[in-house]
Formats: sequence, structure tokens, C-alpha cells
Amino acid sequence: MSALFGLKNKLVYVCLNLKPFIMNPSDQLQLINDAINKTKEQLKPTSVNFIFWGILITLMSITHLLLPEFIQRSRYSSVLFWTVIPVIGMIVTFVYNIKMGVKKGYETHLGRALKITWGVFNIAWIALVVMSIFKRQNPVEDILFLLGIVLLISAFIIRFKPLVIGGALVLICSILLSIKPELNPLLLNAIAAFSGLFIPGLSLYLKK
Amino acid sequence: MFEPLDKLLTNPIRLMVMSVLVKVDSCDFNYLKKMTNSTQGNLSIQLKRLFENNYISITKSFEKNYPKTSCRITKTGATAFASHFKALQSYKNLDL
Repeated sequence: MSALFGLKNKLVYVCLNLKPFIMNPSDQLQLINDAINKTKEQLKPTSVNFIFWGILITLMSITHLLLPEFIQRSRYSSVLFWTVIPVIGMIVTFVYNIKMGVKKGYETHLGRALKITWGVFNIAWIALVVMSIFKRQNPVEDILFLLGIVLLISAFIIRFKPLVIGGALVLICSILLSIKPELNPLLLNAIAAFSGLFIPGLSLYLKK
Repeated sequence: MFEPLDKLLTNPIRLMVMSVLVKVDSCDFNYLKKMTNSTQGNLSIQLKRLFENNYISITKSFEKNYPKTSCRITKTGATAFASHFKALQSYKNLDL
């Protein structure tokens, strides 16, 4: 009898200890919902990239526009100006994004799609610059066209309207340069970077 | 008709791990530890169970001389999770 009582106690003990590990279906659904909601793509680091590049390209274009004699003082100085600073910028953003990825601890499918898209853009950008050096032509029109396309792809991936508008404005600047070659490419570059990168980036950063 | 539940996924830690992994491309051990609020040893055991059943893949690497474990959901895992989720929904209106 006492053995039976002991067995009953043991059974109660086991059941009580197992209770937290047995979840009913609604609890399981709630747990799945919580886990999925907590693991969201954080767009603030992405917006920092847009703000950084918006400011950098706008400042570089304005500097070149206001101080042409300084930037173009030798044959390759403007080429160096437009390659060295952006390459440094690429390294800075690369390190920043890696640090943010490590801090976050996960990579969403959306984040991976954005990473691949901008990685391909960087390679294409370098290729366009190299090709323009050989062809001896201004790459601004081609780079803006590429930037506009990539901005639109990113905008549709993250579903963010200001970035769609920004990407469209960059494309318009590129088209304007091709149909009206007399327009100043540096001025259009500054307008495109400010309206296509900085403003959408800032609105993405401030978005709750 | 109620569909059978996946026994492997009725454990809260394993279910939480699978729920996170289904949303992301890859995820590191520390994030899973934070999400599941479990101990390192317990999480390791649960990850091993999922790995043994081919629900997840585990990649071990080194970052700044520290070992880093990354997990990814496999096709088998994604299918099992989808079936489990579908089965759970069939129980949704049942007051347990």
C-alpha cells in the first residue's frame, strides 16, 4: 500500500515537473508568433548606409563643383578623388554592416537579399568606373542609372515608398543627363544623391 | 480531423529555435540562447536533437579567436515545421 502511495507521489512529482514542457496547441502557436515577431529585420542600420552615402556623394559633388581647379589640377586627380574616397566609404560601410550583423546575431532573408543586391552594385560600380577610364568618358550617367535601378529594387524589397520615389528621381537624373548633355553632371549627381539616398535614408531612420 | 503533432517540436525550446530559424537565413547560438532564455547546455542538447533529425544544419567557425556556432533550417526542418504549424491550427479552436 505504501509502495503504491509512493508510486502515486512519484507520478504526481513527474507530472508537475513535466507541466511546463507540455504545451497546448494555442500556447505553441503563441510561442511561434512571439518568436517570429521578435526576429524582425532591423532597417535602421540600412538607413544609416543611405544617409552616409547620401552625405558623402553630395559633399563630393559640391566640392568638385565649387573647386574644379583643385580637384582637376592634374590628369588623374579627379579620377583618384572619385575612386579613393568612395572605396574608403565602401570599406567603412562594409565594416559597419559586419559589426551590426554580429551584434544582431541573425540574418533575415530580406537582409540577405539587400546584402547581395548592394554587393553586386558595388562590383558593377567599380566596373563602370574602370570602363569609363578606358573609354575616357564621364561615368556619372551610367552610375546614376545603375544606382536608380538598385534603389528601386531595394525599395520594393523593403516596401518603402520614399525610397521608391528616391530611386525614380535618381533614374530621372540619369535620363536627363543622357538627353541633355549640356546639364552639369556634378550638380545632377548632388541632387540625385541628396534626393535618392539622403532623404529616403533619413525618413527610414526616423520611421517607427 | 486532427492532424498528428511532430513530437520533436512540442518541446518549447526546440519549437522556439525552429520558429526563429524559419524566419531567418542564418542565426548564431547566442541569439538563440537569448531568445529561448535557456542555458548553454540545454540549448546545445536541443540543437543536437534537431541536427540529428536533419531539421537544422550547424556551422562552426571562429570569430576573433572565439568559436561561433551558426544554425540554419534545412528543407526537412522547414517541411516538418510547416506540417506541425498546420496541425496546430487544426487544434486551434479546441479548448485544452
